[in-house]
Amino acid sequence: MVAELTGYLRANGEWGLRNHVFIMPLHSVLCSAGRKIAEEAEGAVSISHDWSGEVDSDLERIILTLSGFASNPNNFAVIFLTLASENENRIIKLAQDLGLNNFTEISLADAGSIQGLIDLGIQVAAPYLIAATQEKRSPAPWSAIKLGLECGGSDALSGITANPALGVASDRLVRLGSTSVLGETTEILGAEHLLAARAIDPNVGKKIVEMVARYEASINYEGIDIRGAQPSRGNIEGGLSTLEEKSLGAAKKAGNEKFIGVLEFGEVPTNAGLYFMDTPGHDIEQLAGFGAGHINIVVFTTGRGTPTGSAIMPTIKVSTNTPMFEAIPDLIDLNAGSIADGTETLEEVGTRIFDEILRVACGELTKAERGGHHEFSLSRMYQTVVRG
Amino acid sequence: MGLLNNIAGYSHGNRGVGIRDHQLILPSVICSTHVARRIAKELSAVTFAHQHGCGIIGEDVAGIDDFFAELADHLNISSVLIVSLGCETIQGQELGARLVARNASTRYQIIQESGGVEGTITSGVASARKLSQDFPKTSASIDSLRIGFDNSRNFDEANNWIEALERDGAEIIKSENHRSSTESFAELMTKKVHLVISFPDDLQPASGFPLFPVLNVQGNSSLHNAISKDFDLHENSSTRAVIEMVGSIANGALTIAEATNSGEIRAPRIVRSV
Repeated sequence: MVAELTGYLRANGEWGLRNHVFIMPLHSVLCSAGRKIAEEAEGAVSISHDWSGEVDSDLERIILTLSGFASNPNNFAVIFLTLASENENRIIKLAQDLGLNNFTEISLADAGSIQGLIDLGIQVAAPYLIAATQEKRSPAPWSAIKLGLECGGSDALSGITANPALGVASDRLVRLGSTSVLGETTEILGAEHLLAARAIDPNVGKKIVEMVARYEASINYEGIDIRGAQPSRGNIEGGLSTLEEKSLGAAKKAGNEKFIGVLEFGEVPTNAGLYFMDTPGHDIEQLAGFGAGHINIVVFTTGRGTPTGSAIMPTIKVSTNTPMFEAIPDLIDLNAGSIADGTETLEEVGTRIFDEILRVACGELTKAERGGHHEFSLSRMYQTVVRG
Repeated sequence: MGLLNNIAGYSHGNRGVGIRDHQLILPSVICSTHVARRIAKELSAVTFAHQHGCGIIGEDVAGIDDFFAELADHLNISSVLIVSLGCETIQGQELGARLVARNASTRYQIIQESGGVEGTITSGVASARKLSQDFPKTSASIDSLRIGFDNSRNFDEANNWIEALERDGAEIIKSENHRSSTESFAELMTKKVHLVISFPDDLQPASGFPLFPVLNVQGNSSLHNAISKDFDLHENSSTRAVIEMVGSIANGALTIAEATNSGEIRAPRIVRSV
């Protein structure tokens, strides 16, 4: 275990656990330039997305996601690649309101061409990268950690091994003063009453139930019974039988502490403690919501295995079973299958996850970071009417 | 015989005769896009980032499956390697079985069954190289070039251009989508065009599509004037210059968007992710 938690204190009081120079294209055509800049400017990171400035019913959700992601405290500096449009200006302004104060905007028009944008981006990134590398980590309080709880490719052991072990680590962090956020509304369907019973007050419990009902209504609006569409085929092949079984297991990631609040997709938590955020179960959209909500570290449990990572949030992968951990060793950081094997207890694996969170928070790279996995996905509602 | 009646292309079996000989590394889910990109880089193949393949429900399941099948069946594609994670909604082996029934030059690689990322890349590169050996480049001529028109911007002279291109032997397919070039390209891909002439909106940049060349036509907006280097043609170009440029691109010269690899794919979706 590391002796002391360290991080980077931002001007708005938030803590970063990484010091990224983040290249953020605000139009899909500029994403190839973003990737190229990140390739050439060693140490910089970027994302790809498919928003081309369309103004539709998803615009506000997209603006919220991109501005929140840009202002995530893990970013030392952000280089926005833009067309200098009105909505891109809104994204940058909102990112500033959310705490971003170290950024440069490069417009395609000013650069003169895509190649000019790449050349200029590399030039602008260079001094940021030097400054980011030179900045020293400082001793940080426990409140510096904002942990995202995620699962994907779940199997029959998820709710028995990795998820409850993560719950042990989450509980310990919450008791120390950190923030922990459970997402994936899809995956608490059928277990919402159990989470509501753990709310700090009836109002928070009511909000959890309402959020789940709103989510289910938004799917039913499309004429689809979500309880028939989940668990996914991959989950079924992994041994899960019903959505309720999946949900009961997924909810265990949040341990046993009380929920102090609920968050809309991409909303930034304001106090330390355990929250529920309304995100899809889609792993990458959920990661985008966490990033927009200023989560600075994620633990991702998986039964089937996934290479997924984030450009800006270190993502620790925990396997639910030993055979998968051994089969794809370059994807998984920790194995919780030892609980099912009978070689470790839940508490012991929970402690290992806790220790790994601290090591990664203090700078140790995850396998997803070492592999350069920077998946990103905008979450769209596609004109779905969300009924409150 | 027009200038566009006898283009030197490549025979791609059931896909048709294309003007490019691209090997497509097709990620069947967003989780495999990074691995697909690394494989593609080793081979100088084409690939793309996308946000789909899992967490989709309702009509989107068939819609995305069909979209991937259309990409794999495009006439500029020589062979396809599907890179699947293994537990996603769009299952790699099923997509592979569907695609191979149409085109034998199709293989798939599953990350969860290939030893992880590095194992998948090693196996995937070997599999893709074998595909290239088994289905080597085969020259063929194209009698009639299929050109897509992306009219995201109104262009008064468009009909003159179309008439001139048709006189020189091209078949013109107009996009019915006028919302954005990205969406037009996806639509025109399904209509199996060899290349696209794009008139991006005054406030939109030049853009591209991984599977086919896009010739971008500059307008007179301040944005277009500021980034004139990103355009292949100008609205003021003569129809002869347009035809010569199309002929040159069809015969192998790269468009600016191809050279800069710009342009992402946006698949049509109608239901939120779960």
